[in-house]
Amino acid sequence: MPRKKKKKPLYRRLLPYLLVLACALLAVGAVYTVFLDFQVRERFEGARWTLPAKVYAQPIELYVGQSISRHRLTDSLERQGYRQLANTPRPGSFSRQGSSVNIHSRAFTFWDGAQAAERFRVSFNGDRISGMRSLDRETDIPLQRLEPMLIGSIYPTQGEDRILVKLGDVPPMLPAGLIIVEDRQFMEHHGVSPKGILRAAIANAKAGRVVQGGSTITQQLVKNFYLNNDQTLVRKGKEAIMAILLDAHYAKENILEAYLNEVYLGQDGGRAIHGFGLGSYFYFRKPLEELQPEELALLVGMVKGPSYYNPRRFPDRARKRRNLVLEMFRDAGFLNDAETTRAQNEPLGVSRGSSRSTTQYPAFIDLVKKQLKGHYRDSDLTEEGLRVFTTLDPFVQETLEEQVSSGVEQLERRGDVEKKSLQAAAVVTSIENGRVLGLVGGRDASYAGFNRALDAQRQIGSLMKPVVYLTALEDPSKYSLVTPVDDSPLQVRQPNGDIWEPENYDHRSHGTHVPLYQALVHSYNLATSRLALEVGLPRVVENLKALGYPGEPMAVPSLALGAVEMSPLEVAQIYNTLAGGGYQTPLLAIQAVTTREGEPLSRYSLKTRRAVNEQSVYLLNWAMRRVVREGTARSAYSRLPSQLNLAGKTGTSNDLRDSWFAGYSGDAVAVVWVGRDDNKPGKLAGASGALPLWSGIMAEIGPRSFDPPRPEGLEVRELLLGDDRFRGSRGPNSVGGRDCSRAVKVPFVEDYVPDGLIDCSEQEERGAYDESVTSPEERRDEDDSNWLRDLFR
Amino acid sequence: MNLLRLVSASLLLAMLAACATPSRYPPPQRMPPPSDSSGAPAPWPASGESRPDAEPGAGSVAPEPEPEGPPPPRTVAEASGPAVVALLGQADTKAREGQPEQAAAYVERAVAVEPRNPFIFQRLAALRLDQGEPEQAEAMARKSNSLAGDNPYVRAGNWKLIAEARQMRGDAAGAAEARSRSQVYLSQTRGR
Repeated sequence: MPRKKKKKPLYRRLLPYLLVLACALLAVGAVYTVFLDFQVRERFEGARWTLPAKVYAQPIELYVGQSISRHRLTDSLERQGYRQLANTPRPGSFSRQGSSVNIHSRAFTFWDGAQAAERFRVSFNGDRISGMRSLDRETDIPLQRLEPMLIGSIYPTQGEDRILVKLGDVPPMLPAGLIIVEDRQFMEHHGVSPKGILRAAIANAKAGRVVQGGSTITQQLVKNFYLNNDQTLVRKGKEAIMAILLDAHYAKENILEAYLNEVYLGQDGGRAIHGFGLGSYFYFRKPLEELQPEELALLVGMVKGPSYYNPRRFPDRARKRRNLVLEMFRDAGFLNDAETTRAQNEPLGVSRGSSRSTTQYPAFIDLVKKQLKGHYRDSDLTEEGLRVFTTLDPFVQETLEEQVSSGVEQLERRGDVEKKSLQAAAVVTSIENGRVLGLVGGRDASYAGFNRALDAQRQIGSLMKPVVYLTALEDPSKYSLVTPVDDSPLQVRQPNGDIWEPENYDHRSHGTHVPLYQALVHSYNLATSRLALEVGLPRVVENLKALGYPGEPMAVPSLALGAVEMSPLEVAQIYNTLAGGGYQTPLLAIQAVTTREGEPLSRYSLKTRRAVNEQSVYLLNWAMRRVVREGTARSAYSRLPSQLNLAGKTGTSNDLRDSWFAGYSGDAVAVVWVGRDDNKPGKLAGASGALPLWSGIMAEIGPRSFDPPRPEGLEVRELLLGDDRFRGSRGPNSVGGRDCSRAVKVPFVEDYVPDGLIDCSEQEERGAYDESVTSPEERRDEDDSNWLRDLFR
Repeated sequence: MNLLRLVSASLLLAMLAACATPSRYPPPQRMPPPSDSSGAPAPWPASGESRPDAEPGAGSVAPEPEPEGPPPPRTVAEASGPAVVALLGQADTKAREGQPEQAAAYVERAVAVEPRNPFIFQRLAALRLDQGEPEQAEAMARKSNSLAGDNPYVRAGNWKLIAEARQMRGDAAGAAEARSRSQVYLSQTRGR
């Protein structure tokens, strides 16, 4: 009889399966944990982050005799995050003392070596540095270089940016404060904190919503470092396991240091700001070591929600959060009551910058990237943390930005110019060493869009004319500054059968005997076209290229009037060569590149090339100065002091599409373009559009007078030019009835001085001179050549 | 709770630990030397490659005392402010140490301070000659001439450098011409 099989309870029957299953799960879990463990260690021990190259401005060089006002110096210091503190106790501080400024500079590793922090006094005599003295060594110092300003990074279009810091270098209040605010049990727990989770759960239950996260610093690091942002339970579990593993493998200090560098602190366009090192520069423009309790509290408080507490967009919210954090600092014993109150009353102190993008000087960084291309791979630039030392002068750059944006707005206030229609670009270079000091690619300089300074190719109009006159002046046997040129109407049959018929700006001819320099000074199209045809267009093209134009322009007659398209930067190169006396120095935006540790990789050294004859450039520059004194650009002197000599040329393209001015002082070239992106007429000539902007820029950057040294082989004659000879004809310097006090020194190439010039420096009587012809007013409307004849005996 | 002190103390340990562990970030590979076209950055030369610095001639000319009028400056020291003198002194030191590119960098800083000082460009010319770059040496010497005005001391030195540069390029006739020009200026300095 079969025994009735006693049925085992269900759980006993399933037990073996459960056991197997549990074992399997355990095995899978173990394998998974090992896998996670591998992940955790590999990432933590490998190269944790790719580091975008860091871009620095040109350092401020202070030296005895330098022309810089006290105000401009302290402005520059403040721009670099220096604080005004009595007795300059620490690097990054300064104080005013009577007419001098005491500075405590920061230590910095330049590409040519490390430079220690230095306390020194700068004394002023007016707007000039009269002396400098080291306060530590009690010795006079001839010059002192300040650390350069960090102006940006080269990062991929979307990417993280950071500056790594070491735990040992940051103010102790930062890590301690993070622990207080984010994870009080950090030093004790094992990666996860059940207590913390419980506390958060209670707080959340009480509030009825999530008000507190239970994540430890370790978990936050794991989340940012290894995981995506999903809020799932699986991910939470994974995060917890990895946090425990991380805690088991590494010291708290290492985890904390990684956290300091990993944490997300804000967004700058496509660039994500990570870590406190960069956060400090991003919000305060100074190194983390120099942050004060209230500044540290702001950053620590922002960890909770960098966009929500963004101090630039939501200053009130950020201030409340900061002050709460300061109270937590006080409760933890970091600050006493008085210190807390003081800190809470401080302003936020965040550097200016729009919330949209605070990358400084995007147009200039663009140029830097262009110049680096070909020498470095993209990945070298975005990943290796290279340090790029540029030529940017922050003072010049900011002046340029302000002047361009306010200048364009002013132009649009004119009735006939459509509002918001104009665009502009500008470049400033230093002449003798060919450095790009500032560059603006549009009227809104903070906008990193189309960079007109580099990429807009526009007709240069009369900016071309100096090249034509230079080419003529290269042949002294045929042309001097006063050689008569023909400004009568002109027709040229082109190879394709078309007739080219240029016209003057005022639609009239100025006669057949215009002195050569006058034709340039007043920008006569007819005379210039004829001159270009006389000297030969291929020679004009040759000179244009010699001056630094990289393109291959067509040798057509209209080239003489600027039928060639260039970017403002290309124009700057050409005019820099003219300003440099005919020596072409390739324009550079970079001085040197080093590794992250400061090991030099490459240096962009000063090079020069004798591009054209010095004598002809000198003669040309004599005329270019008169363009500004009395010609198409004379309105520049409404903004600039009259004792200052400047040289330049206006440019206007057909139908007023492009308004240009390119010109120079003794130390800087500035090129300004104003026009419309759609290439419709902007209704502005060079003198009415670009010139006011140029004058404003020059007036602000404080130029030296343009007085180039005279090359050998030239001699000077004192001549009475134009209508000046009619004034005060009985003066003591009267020669032949002329007032020689108004004589102008005109340079000529030796052995090629035109015969019969009446030279005022020769005081003897020149014989009868008919001064009864007509009054100056009547003459103005006449043929410009009339007075030219009077130059001669 | 004295967390601040605790963390501060642990910082020291962290620093030591950071020193002990080898760098996690391998140094970036040395970049391939950029092409030699003009405007391209010079590859950083290894130290010790250059010849010892040879002083340009202008400074060593010993002219007679000036009879009348303000004499043109004969040396860098006479022509330049203290900042430039200091920078050129540091450049000399670097050049003697066999680091001509570092030396050039100091001289270039001097250009930024006094952009129209012909002695500075003369120094650049001398450095380029030492580095075996006769084209740049001549260009810099001529640039110096273009800034020299009526100063025969600078011009004599520059033409001497140009002569050496041309000799280095194998242009014997050009070198002779430059040398005779140098002599002309040298005699002018003696006339003073």
